[in-house]
Amino acid sequence: MPEETIIRFENITKQYDNDPPVLTDVSFELERGKFYTLLGPSGCGKTTIIRLIAGFVQPTTGAIYFDEQEISNIPPDKRRVNTIFQDYALFPHLNVFENVAFGLRVKRMKPDMIKAKVREALRFVNLEGLENRGITGMSGGQQQRVAVARAIVNEPEVLLLDEPLSALDLKLRSEMQYELRELQKNLGITFVFVTHDQEEALALSDEVFVLNSGVIQQRGTPNDIYDEPVNKFVADFIGESNIIPGIMINDYLVEFVGNQFECVDQGFYPNEPAEIVIRPEDLEITGKDQGKLQVRVDSQLFRGVHYEICCYDKDGNEWLVHSTRKVTVGDEIGLDFGPEDIHVMRLGETEDEFDRRLESYEEVRHAG
Amino acid sequence: MKRMGRLSLIYLTIVFVILYAPIFYLMYYSFNSAGTMHNFESFTFDWYREVFQDTRLFIILLNTLVIALLSSAISTAIGVLGALAITRVKTKRFQNALLTLNNVMIVSPDVIIGASFLVLFAMIGIKLGFGSVLISHIAFSVPIVVLMVLPNLEEMSPTLIDAARDLGASGWDVLTRVVIPYISPGIFAGFFMALTYSLDDFAVTFFVTGGGFSTLSVEIYSLARRGISLTINALSTLIFLATLILVIGYYFISKQGAKPKEAEVRE
Repeated sequence: MPEETIIRFENITKQYDNDPPVLTDVSFELERGKFYTLLGPSGCGKTTIIRLIAGFVQPTTGAIYFDEQEISNIPPDKRRVNTIFQDYALFPHLNVFENVAFGLRVKRMKPDMIKAKVREALRFVNLEGLENRGITGMSGGQQQRVAVARAIVNEPEVLLLDEPLSALDLKLRSEMQYELRELQKNLGITFVFVTHDQEEALALSDEVFVLNSGVIQQRGTPNDIYDEPVNKFVADFIGESNIIPGIMINDYLVEFVGNQFECVDQGFYPNEPAEIVIRPEDLEITGKDQGKLQVRVDSQLFRGVHYEICCYDKDGNEWLVHSTRKVTVGDEIGLDFGPEDIHVMRLGETEDEFDRRLESYEEVRHAG
Repeated sequence: MKRMGRLSLIYLTIVFVILYAPIFYLMYYSFNSAGTMHNFESFTFDWYREVFQDTRLFIILLNTLVIALLSSAISTAIGVLGALAITRVKTKRFQNALLTLNNVMIVSPDVIIGASFLVLFAMIGIKLGFGSVLISHIAFSVPIVVLMVLPNLEEMSPTLIDAARDLGASGWDVLTRVVIPYISPGIFAGFFMALTYSLDDFAVTFFVTGGGFSTLSVEIYSLARRGISLTINALSTLIFLATLILVIGYYFISKQGAKPKEAEVRE
């Protein structure tokens, strides 16, 4: 598939009245046919981004391009995108068929064409035979499907999804996650999915944009974002992590909690202060004197898949461990980890600086 | 518990007897052949015959209906637009000011509205008659319609409009295909409310009518002043029955409207 840009944001800032800006100088490109997720806490500006793409709001400064044509001031009804809303926004006075047919009716399509297209869209979301049902009597999952059918029947080139799964219960939510991913593959169009649920973001996306306070903190594949968070916010927001202050002694050598450890990071100044991230599932419980760290177990919670164990070392740093092994609260245990489990973050580094550093030492590695 | 139930039942009965007794008293003597409101002599339909034979009364009835239907239709259109405009006002203070102005019209006494209209019509030289009555009925009905439609508009989720726009609807499509159908219960309620206000309005109409134009309430008032004739009783009885039929009809229509929704929920 050729990788062509479908949506491009150029230095977008969005500000309402005299409030602090919701988005600050945001630029990015979205490629055709990919599943993108905008991930961030509430109020980070993720919903504003899709409202800008849909055309419900206009940027304060900057420009939005669709297929390389500027669309910043084009009204929503003239854009080739459709939205699935958080509350689905189905029309309560219309039945399922008429809800799905709405977009085609306002385009003045012929009635028999509408009938065929609506039937097909409803078959696509497994709602055949429910054409004449009212909206108010339907379950959350069914309403969700109607909303999907109503959007895709218009054959948009980009589908925007504003936290569409947040109103569903856990089991239904994971089912719908599979269905959405499947839908995106079958339709082959670009999805822009907004969520505050990091697991959902990691499971669904080709690419994740992590946002905080109106700025894109990091973008990349789910693996990149999980394994190589650029800063404390991303590390903390995506999954659980132990973040400890440390000093980068030299390339491949880092010091924290009074010891020096081998690692795989480089490109720092000698003895530069940094932050160390170790994921709880990368810590392995060993006997008291066998691990690289010695900690005392403070508390333990059974989470189903694993135990969540909270420990403290002698300096008072908290260590979160995920393990399938049970331990006794109050015991001294050892924690072991490998060099690749350590991820070192430069303090206050932006995404661009991080990428540049990564590139520079990849070149070194290739040269060597 | 049971004692309380009986007490409240007695209380309720007394209240309703007091409320309805004058009407039933009036209806009872409309069948009196003696022509007075005491000493029931014998049963007769004479007074009803007189009502139906009175072409002048028939024209007045028609006037009343035309004024009521026209004024409530026009005021519904104006009121809906007004309610839409009020919800679109951005600043909360301006919105509240508009709403207060609207509510003042509802609570201000009919006499004052009627008198001020009379002054206005005299000033700008509008002849009293059909036109002046219609204009003043529209004027006091519009705020009622606004008040009935507003709650519907306010409970409508703004994402519905976003969704319609998103699906390619123009501003006109949004209004006719989403907003109006959504608020239609309020529109109907407003229309019927305006209809009843117009039908039984006396005070305002009394001030602004003239040139031989009259409505039922004004006519009954002048008949009653002229002297006791049982045609008034007969006419009032007919109006009461017509209203009763309207209320019962409305009850059945609204019950039918609610039915399919219940069935859906049960499925």
